[in-house]
Amino acid sequence: MKNDETHTDSPDAPAERAEGKTRIGMTRRTLCLGVGGAAVMLGLGGLKYAGSQSIIRPPGGQDEERLVSACIRCEKCYEICPRDVIAPAHIESGVLNMRTPTFDFSSNWCDWCTEENGGQPLCVKACPTEALKLPDGATAEGTIIGKAVINTDWCLAYKLIGCRFCYDACPYDAMQLDENDRPAVLTDRCNGCGACESVCVSLQNGSISEGATARAIVVHPLDEAEG
Amino acid sequence: MKMNSKTLRILVAAAIIIVVAIGFVTNLGIGTMSAPGVWDISILCPLGALGTMLASKTMVPRAVISLVIVVLLIIVFARAFCGWMCPVPLVQRLRGLFSKKQAKAARTSDADGNGAAGPDADAQPEAPAKPLTAAEREALSASCGTSGAQCSSCAKRRGAALDARHFVLGGALVSTFAFGFPVFCLVCPIGLTFATVLLVINLFAHGDVTWSLIVVPALLAVEVLAFRKWCHKLCPLSAFMSLVAKANRTFVPTIDNAKCLETSKSAACGLCGRACDEGIDPRHPQLSEASWSECTKCRACVDACPANAITMPLLPKKRLGKPESPAASVDSETEAAKP
Repeated sequence: MKNDETHTDSPDAPAERAEGKTRIGMTRRTLCLGVGGAAVMLGLGGLKYAGSQSIIRPPGGQDEERLVSACIRCEKCYEICPRDVIAPAHIESGVLNMRTPTFDFSSNWCDWCTEENGGQPLCVKACPTEALKLPDGATAEGTIIGKAVINTDWCLAYKLIGCRFCYDACPYDAMQLDENDRPAVLTDRCNGCGACESVCVSLQNGSISEGATARAIVVHPLDEAEG
Repeated sequence: MKMNSKTLRILVAAAIIIVVAIGFVTNLGIGTMSAPGVWDISILCPLGALGTMLASKTMVPRAVISLVIVVLLIIVFARAFCGWMCPVPLVQRLRGLFSKKQAKAARTSDADGNGAAGPDADAQPEAPAKPLTAAEREALSASCGTSGAQCSSCAKRRGAALDARHFVLGGALVSTFAFGFPVFCLVCPIGLTFATVLLVINLFAHGDVTWSLIVVPALLAVEVLAFRKWCHKLCPLSAFMSLVAKANRTFVPTIDNAKCLETSKSAACGLCGRACDEGIDPRHPQLSEASWSECTKCRACVDACPANAITMPLLPKKRLGKPESPAASVDSETEAAKP
């Protein structure tokens, strides 16, 4: 439709047409290139329906539709994060998600910049397009990034080793220990901050949790954790 | 001896990549070219700003402010971003690294093609001081205004009318609005360049192994290495800038007629026109392949002039009715471009 507009907008120059040019005064080659380029742009839009994995988002990115529509992949949130837990998503999470922000809790977790910025997440403050935007009165406890899920095959505690790093790390009392000191997540209290995941040592003990490809406690996006 | 502006431009673009890389490993929020700044202050890429608002169908105050600032910057500096800051020309230089001889041959033939502005340029490319014949002088002084019929070069001239880039720009914006995400940002070669830098940093810093490491640079290579004329023919950002730069009147290469070999000695020179990567001929703008709005302020013509006759003054100098002064031709050109 855009192309039709340009057709009608352009001045009709008979002298140009006489020289084997199209009506809008450009060579056929340029026109083909332009139409081709525009078609590629429209085709790329279709990638939206190519199926993207749902991934966990930094605070303010919980409205997935909004985040995807506003994020220009500038990596500002990634840079500003004082704990370096925001990471650009890779193509494995879907083409559309590539370079959009997600969390990497491998060495730290998100406490909404309590120390660094008094509990106001710097990523939200820095996002220039408001792709990360918190609703008024949003709190860390009430904003659900995801839910921690324990893989009992890989968890050391489920081999009765007595590991309880995740239980000790949880800042929201969202974990409990059973009679054998095995941790479990209280899903109604977990907000997906990643503290448990960041301290999980199961992967460093590969000989015990054989075949593990990830930590034994990992924050999953909400729909995945429930499904 | 002043540093060659070509070297200077490469250094500036490389320095920007280094500064962005520093931003990646620190928490200063320096940002990429998509949103450069410090901390939470940043200025948005104009296409990103437009895209984010079209896609989310909301007014984003920061995007609007950025857009206004960027438009003002483009009015003052025209496409200087393309010439001085954009990493894509730097990436395109990589091609030269891989096929040195071929690239060099291609570049010289390119330069000849671009520089063939006047009939004399092809005939005597290496004889800068030979006097012009009367016929040549007449051909060079021809312009759209005087020749009566509309000349073909106006229609062909990049930037004077819509071209392929504008279709890509239009397609990207329509697609962004229709599908609800900034479509061009997904494949923007500027973004992909910095994404590649970041992927490499994270590969070494965190052992972050991903298919993106192959996909991102491959996409970048397809765009700017396979399409050699990406900037001239496809880049929607360049389209946006050239549209806004039609209002540019500052830093326009201006020729001192008393020094210029062609006007002072009636010599056939044309070096400034041949030096221009964009295809602008500062001496004979009416014969250019591109209009003044395409100028990247790269200073190649200033460097090329054997008589040092070209300057880029902040404000256009007042000329007393000289028909060939660039400022005057800019005016006539924009009028011609209006429907």
